[in-house]
Amino acid sequence: MPSAAEAECAPETLLADSPKRVEIADIGCGFGGLLFALAPLMPSTLILGLEIRTSVTEFVQEKIKALRMQNVGNAFAYQNVSCIRANTMKFLPNFFEKAQLSKIFLCFPDPHFKARKHKARIVSQQLNSEYAYVLRPGGIVYTITDVEDLHDWMVEHFDAHPSFARVSEEGDECVRVMTTETEEGKKVERNGGQKFVALFKRLDDPPWPSD
Amino acid sequence: MQHPYQCIAAIESTAQGQASSHLLAACGHRLVLVDVNDSKIITEWFSAISTTNTAEAPENDDGERPKKKQKTVPPVKPANIIKLTVSPDQAHAVAVTDDKYVRVFTIGNGKLEEISQRCMPKRPCAVQVLPDNATIICGDKFGDVYSLPLLPTASEDVPMVADTALESATLEADEPAFKPSATNLTVHTKRNRKALEAQMQQKAFSAKKEPLKFDHKLLLGHVSMLTGVAYASRNVDGRDRGYIITADRDEHIRISRGPPQSHVIEGYCLGHKEFVSKLCLIPGTDLSVSGGGENELYVWDWPAFTLKRKIHLTDEVVNTGESNAEASRQADDGTMSQADSSKKDVAVSGMWIVPCPAAHGGTETALVVAIERLPMLLAIPVNQLGLPRGQDVNITTIDLGHAPLDLACIGDSVVVSLDAREEGQSRFQAIKLQEVQEQGMIGNVRDGEMEKRLACLNSYPTADASLDGKTLDDLLYNVGNLRKRRGWGDSAKEGDDGPDGDAGVDDVAED
Repeated sequence: MPSAAEAECAPETLLADSPKRVEIADIGCGFGGLLFALAPLMPSTLILGLEIRTSVTEFVQEKIKALRMQNVGNAFAYQNVSCIRANTMKFLPNFFEKAQLSKIFLCFPDPHFKARKHKARIVSQQLNSEYAYVLRPGGIVYTITDVEDLHDWMVEHFDAHPSFARVSEEGDECVRVMTTETEEGKKVERNGGQKFVALFKRLDDPPWPSD
Repeated sequence: MQHPYQCIAAIESTAQGQASSHLLAACGHRLVLVDVNDSKIITEWFSAISTTNTAEAPENDDGERPKKKQKTVPPVKPANIIKLTVSPDQAHAVAVTDDKYVRVFTIGNGKLEEISQRCMPKRPCAVQVLPDNATIICGDKFGDVYSLPLLPTASEDVPMVADTALESATLEADEPAFKPSATNLTVHTKRNRKALEAQMQQKAFSAKKEPLKFDHKLLLGHVSMLTGVAYASRNVDGRDRGYIITADRDEHIRISRGPPQSHVIEGYCLGHKEFVSKLCLIPGTDLSVSGGGENELYVWDWPAFTLKRKIHLTDEVVNTGESNAEASRQADDGTMSQADSSKKDVAVSGMWIVPCPAAHGGTETALVVAIERLPMLLAIPVNQLGLPRGQDVNITTIDLGHAPLDLACIGDSVVVSLDAREEGQSRFQAIKLQEVQEQGMIGNVRDGEMEKRLACLNSYPTADASLDGKTLDDLLYNVGNLRKRRGWGDSAKEGDDGPDGDAGVDDVAED
């Protein structure tokens, strides 16, 4: 009788022969609300949550294990979702190859209110180049926050970056999930706060200058 | 004690049909220009003391002690020169002083004249003049790379006009009254709640930093401290493509397109396990070599972002250097003191390409490497860098009297500036390398002739009673400080990610 641990079915084993790569990254995934809601909607896409807090990462990993065990034998068993502890501000290119991702989620990032901490914000002119690097042309960055100032900041910086253009939120199911399925999102609902959403498409790189 | 020459740069030009050789040498806050052919110092420059000396507490006329205790501002020392480079056309020199100023000098006709000084937002740690001889790229410890025109435009006070939308995004609009960004509805964490409370109490809007008043562009940025910036050029399909290669403390080497497309990251050369401190492009090839906090050099095919091989700086080599360092250590004034635990840690402090003629008379070159604090140089023939893995590369050790601080080539002569602090010791050594064909080893011969020509630098008065070993060490030896301490215990301070730490830039002090 396989032990509980063996029944975990680590994704690496299942997909050892698969050329599949992670396509969706939830940067700052927190307690995993978005991951668990997205996973069943795209069962054949690999989704990875990245979280800097070790304790929170462990929580999500345990929850994934539990969901898999509970669903052993079902058609969908949460095998396409995982979470790792990572500092994406510094090490995003260590985790993903060029143009690997089709979607990046930035949900309710820490606003870092003080001006001197603006460099620690998850969106900046410099960091946007790294998001552009790991995202394939046509890929989408999804942002949501309840802090209007931060929303304005993110919009301004993505708009200003030549690799991105803002696109409409309409018709994208991920927007609905992002808006209602995270812990933060639910908290904001309860408090009667507002949510600000913005989506940006990763454009093609320009041709090299010709002169 | 005498102050060593912490930076040197060679200038070789043919003006009016006459070949001339000069050496720029920085000694503390002074910069001297030496005419090598005439063996004399022809100009000197020093950065001025920026504030008045108020160290003496003013006394009343009748000699009574002042009633109130006066705040005395310690005299501001003139800023040391920390980087020095020469434009490709040898017409200008750029120096960075540790007061964050980028200073441009004209160096034609044996004159040394400062024509501009621009204060950067953060301390620059790398500077290079591009092949167009019109642009300076400058990387800072905060992680940002800026480009500036070499020759500033006439009106320095013109408010900066944003050339690209990117620039305007970084300029935040001024708000007359301060309004917190958050409300009670938005705060989530205890830390954020505290920040909101503080902001609610803040009446006046604290002034944001002024945008830079001179023409500049923010090209790209890492989140980590930059340790190297280099411009590279490749010819693809008959066209020249420019790249900017940047290295950081978090083991990254990034390859971005050159201006005006520096927001496009082409790729990364990943593999270093410790900080990268030096980058060296091998001219005429697609190779680059990087070194840092490991005792291995990495050889890359950088356009393909692949590691070709590593070159192991053998333990013998490093240990030999260590024992020489022990011998030359000056115990009495406590210089070069180093925690024992880091004695074996390697920190690459310099890499240069130098002429290394082969016995049969070809124009070969060698890669010369300096390891922080070790009184030696390691030399590797460039033609060995491409040897496949598994084939050992010949590394020749060149012993020096003291640790090398900087290196410049004048013709075939390799001039090395030494950390020689006792008065009377020679602060320069000059050698000529030659490849010994069969073994791939490199022989070296002392160039006494060149050393004689540079004797004027040794007799240039730089004795300073106030100099102490620690101040010099702080100026000269900070590559080893790039090492991050592993383990959760001290990680929050060192820029490592603590288990619950901030993602970002806490390791870089606000300036």
